[in-house]
Amino acid sequence: MSPRRVGLLPRGKTSGEGISDFLRGMLDRGYFDAALLPMRVPAGDSFAWVLLSGWAAQDRSLLSAAAPFAPVMPVQGAKSLSSITRQGKSTQRIVAVMRPCEWRAAVELSKLQQLDLANIFVITYDCPGVVPLSDWLADPSGAKQLWERALEDWQGEGMRPLCQICDRFSMVDQAGSPPDLHIGLLGRGDGRPLLLAGSRWGEELLEECEVAPEEEIKDWEEWVREATLRRREKRRKTFRELSSQVKGYDKLLQTFGKCINCHNCMRACPLCHCRQCYFESSALKLDPQNYIRRAERKGGLKLPPDTLLFHLGRMSHIALSCLSCGSCEDACPMSLPVGQVVSLVAQEAQELFDYSPGESMEAALPLVAYKEEELAWAEKPYLETYRAEGRS
Amino acid sequence: MAKVWRMEKGVEEGMRELLRFLLRSHKVQGVISLLKLPDGGVAYALITDQATVQDAVPLYPLMPTNAATVLSRITLLGSPQEPLAAVLRPCELRAFVELVKRKQGSVENFLFISSTCGGVYPLKLAAQGRVKEADYWIAVRQGEIPAGIRPTCRGCNQFLPYNADITVKLAGNRELNKRCDLILNTEKGEEFLSGLEGEIHDEEAPGEEVKLLLQKRGEAKKELYEELKSEELGLSGLVDIFGRCLNCHACGNACPLCYCELCDFDSRDYEYDPSTYLAQLAERGGIKVPPNSLIYQLGRLTHMGISCVGCGMCTDVCPAAIPVGSIFYRVGEQVQARFDYVPGRDLAEDVPLTVFKEKEFQEVGR
Repeated sequence: MSPRRVGLLPRGKTSGEGISDFLRGMLDRGYFDAALLPMRVPAGDSFAWVLLSGWAAQDRSLLSAAAPFAPVMPVQGAKSLSSITRQGKSTQRIVAVMRPCEWRAAVELSKLQQLDLANIFVITYDCPGVVPLSDWLADPSGAKQLWERALEDWQGEGMRPLCQICDRFSMVDQAGSPPDLHIGLLGRGDGRPLLLAGSRWGEELLEECEVAPEEEIKDWEEWVREATLRRREKRRKTFRELSSQVKGYDKLLQTFGKCINCHNCMRACPLCHCRQCYFESSALKLDPQNYIRRAERKGGLKLPPDTLLFHLGRMSHIALSCLSCGSCEDACPMSLPVGQVVSLVAQEAQELFDYSPGESMEAALPLVAYKEEELAWAEKPYLETYRAEGRS
Repeated sequence: MAKVWRMEKGVEEGMRELLRFLLRSHKVQGVISLLKLPDGGVAYALITDQATVQDAVPLYPLMPTNAATVLSRITLLGSPQEPLAAVLRPCELRAFVELVKRKQGSVENFLFISSTCGGVYPLKLAAQGRVKEADYWIAVRQGEIPAGIRPTCRGCNQFLPYNADITVKLAGNRELNKRCDLILNTEKGEEFLSGLEGEIHDEEAPGEEVKLLLQKRGEAKKELYEELKSEELGLSGLVDIFGRCLNCHACGNACPLCYCELCDFDSRDYEYDPSTYLAQLAERGGIKVPPNSLIYQLGRLTHMGISCVGCGMCTDVCPAAIPVGSIFYRVGEQVQARFDYVPGRDLAEDVPLTVFKEKEFQEVGR
């Protein structure tokens, strides 16, 4: 991200309130018609995405329930945005505040034609991580403390396991398609958050904002890069260990042994967008004798069957676009490390295709773009085998 | 009076012996039972090999999937050619009977073995490796409600199975570590057991112990409903409880009765174009997105409330820790009472909404 304009967020008591005031001002002046942001639910025990109209946002009591920087992510923001724009573009201007991984998921979903970003103004922010929903519901005050600490030290302790090793929590080095606006929080302490324009629209919005001093921008960039390197190192280490625990058929089978086949992971995943999953279709409902034959081959057949196959299928479907958001893991009733495993596989798959999901709107999804010479090395052994057998 | 087949061994070992016997004598082609997996997990499995039975844990206090879901999966397209035995809990068997009424499975060629069930632990406990089997069996033996079981199990007074050929005595068996009592409910059950070790005797059923436990469960149910404050819920109460619902539909997916291949709420009918959102927005000021999380719950409640068996799968899989199961159990029970209907009681009993009775609910139509 190389912003042409960087402003300072107008003063507020906390950065959360500051951004709420900022949004109210923008809605008030007619920059936007509606806002999509996390708000406290009526019982106050959790958060939900709410699409708020401009006039309703003037109601202070309503906007005071808004939590642009919510500690939890019950629904991935891209999923929420997709439910509004899956059927077509919005005619009104909607401002959405979301995490970097939510923005990137939105970019992927837009490539998959499950979301339309026209007239959507997206604001992201340096993300300290997400508190697992079950932790938040079990002990809200303890979880809140952890979240506040994460906002200060950026170590991610107590956040989702994937957040603790996330190296894409900011937008400093987002090259292709940055959001319209990014809020720099890291290292700002009590200082005012930075507002970095990522688009012309974003620049326009910052025209009336106080311009941030060059020095402060440089400092922020440096801190973010340092923290990113630390995280990347931690990620490498964690994945190395994880890989030794899950690689290979037997270990994978064990990892997913406790899976109850509920498909919560798929439902929470922003990228699993099929209306009907193959694994829930009639294609897999078979004659009783089929199950009996399969059981007889091995002495026993786990029921429901094909739990590992489901995970492998899901992995191969979404690995190239996986943002490591951890939503799947949060939703797993058996606390399986499903997000970490998928993320590990995703990282290797993405490296193989030199593809960074959510980075650029222009970069085509690898499986959509045909390149004749791609992965030729992988095919070679087969060709050679066939030639040796005289079958070519 | 009931006929009881007694084996002089602990109830778990007795059950394994029974399953081995059924396979060995070729009375069944396979058995469906909970099985301990190499990683320590427990899942339902179709077992065809006697040797695999040593890892079977038919009475393990966990319900990773409702067995009705499993049986429906196997028998959706037809019945097995040769008999299969299935060990399942009373609520699972009731759910399966409800599914069969809805043409989602078949009971043909099945030997149903159920138990006077002591309840199951929430899946979360298994995920954390905190299932204490020993404590469970002590409580069941003493006729107590094991601490920490699913809320709906705590208040379940339907723990005597309907439609089982054989009932394993758990609640009501003070010596279940030494003695495996199998109540023979049907001739079929008796036929399948002939040749198994053990002796037959007659006894009073249900015994005093069961009656006492029924009472305890009844009180626990009252407590559960009081905690839930379901009587005072109303619309705002529902908004409070389901406010944190993510609209993930995990509850419907785990529910044995929610069998639709594509839920209406997952269909295009519940997807809107942006202009619909914006029109709504002009009226209401704010909309939860994704929308319809409360109407989904109410829709599901009206669709399967009449057949809800209170198994508690929905609560266990809810990522937002909403007591879905307790609410559905409560509402389901009230609806069922209005129709004098007990889900899963009798396969010949039609689902109330499929039967037209001219004089029914005239007070509503007036």
